[in-house]
Amino acid sequence: MEMLQLILDGQVTHEQREYFKAHMESCMPCFKSHQVDMAIKQLVKDRCCGEDAPGELILQIRAQITQKNA
Amino acid sequence: MEEGERQHYTEAEKQEIFDREFLPHINAMYNFGYRLTLERDDAKDLVQDTYFKAFRFIESFQRGTNAKAWLFRILKNSFINDYRKKTKEPTKVDYQEVESYYNSEDVDRQITPDLRVDALKDMIGDEISNALNALDVDFRTVIILCDLEGFKYEEMAKILDIPIGTVRSRLHRARQLLKEKLSLYAKSMGYKNTEL
Repeated sequence: MEMLQLILDGQVTHEQREYFKAHMESCMPCFKSHQVDMAIKQLVKDRCCGEDAPGELILQIRAQITQKNA
Repeated sequence: MEEGERQHYTEAEKQEIFDREFLPHINAMYNFGYRLTLERDDAKDLVQDTYFKAFRFIESFQRGTNAKAWLFRILKNSFINDYRKKTKEPTKVDYQEVESYYNSEDVDRQITPDLRVDALKDMIGDEISNALNALDVDFRTVIILCDLEGFKYEEMAKILDIPIGTVRSRLHRARQLLKEKLSLYAKSMGYKNTEL
């Protein structure tokens, strides 16, 4: 289970990934679980980046810095 | 504010670092602020405060290091120290319980919510965003940092001031909870759990 997460997040060595890929070819539960995890991760990436910061925010930040800096 | 040697920058250098290394992250920072507070105005205040602090303490930032992680850490600390205190939101998660849960033998054998990839493909609206926002803030945070912002576990550990092992276990639990929420959505959309 923990290995699945490490693979998902790309925190494994090349050898570990290869080993796991081979394992998944014969292990349906791992394969399915990994597919779902990857789909959710992608969904978060695509759908949760939200709105851009409001334009006036940068102006306010600059104004605050210039003021305190003067 | 951050470990490491104090740098010495001229005013022009400070401005350059601020413009080139700090400001480009403003949208990610704003989204992080929003996901923490779930309020646009609070997110704005949090981001503004973070940039102000970042400029004030710019000499503890070392050029060439990860500015985004540095900024995220300041924002997270501001959220905990200023915002959370103000709203007096108690921490609801019992991490002891989470840790022992994660380390128990049962974790591999638990019944995972049955969720299929084709159900996820139909979630093209706000389902995922709402499900994420419904998680406790600490769980929300690790998913944002990892899946959306692409931070490595080590960077997350620094941003959150927790050990890497805790990053992993929190992330594991967060994903489990997110999956539970998504499978409820899937059910409501008419997907049946036929594969249990």
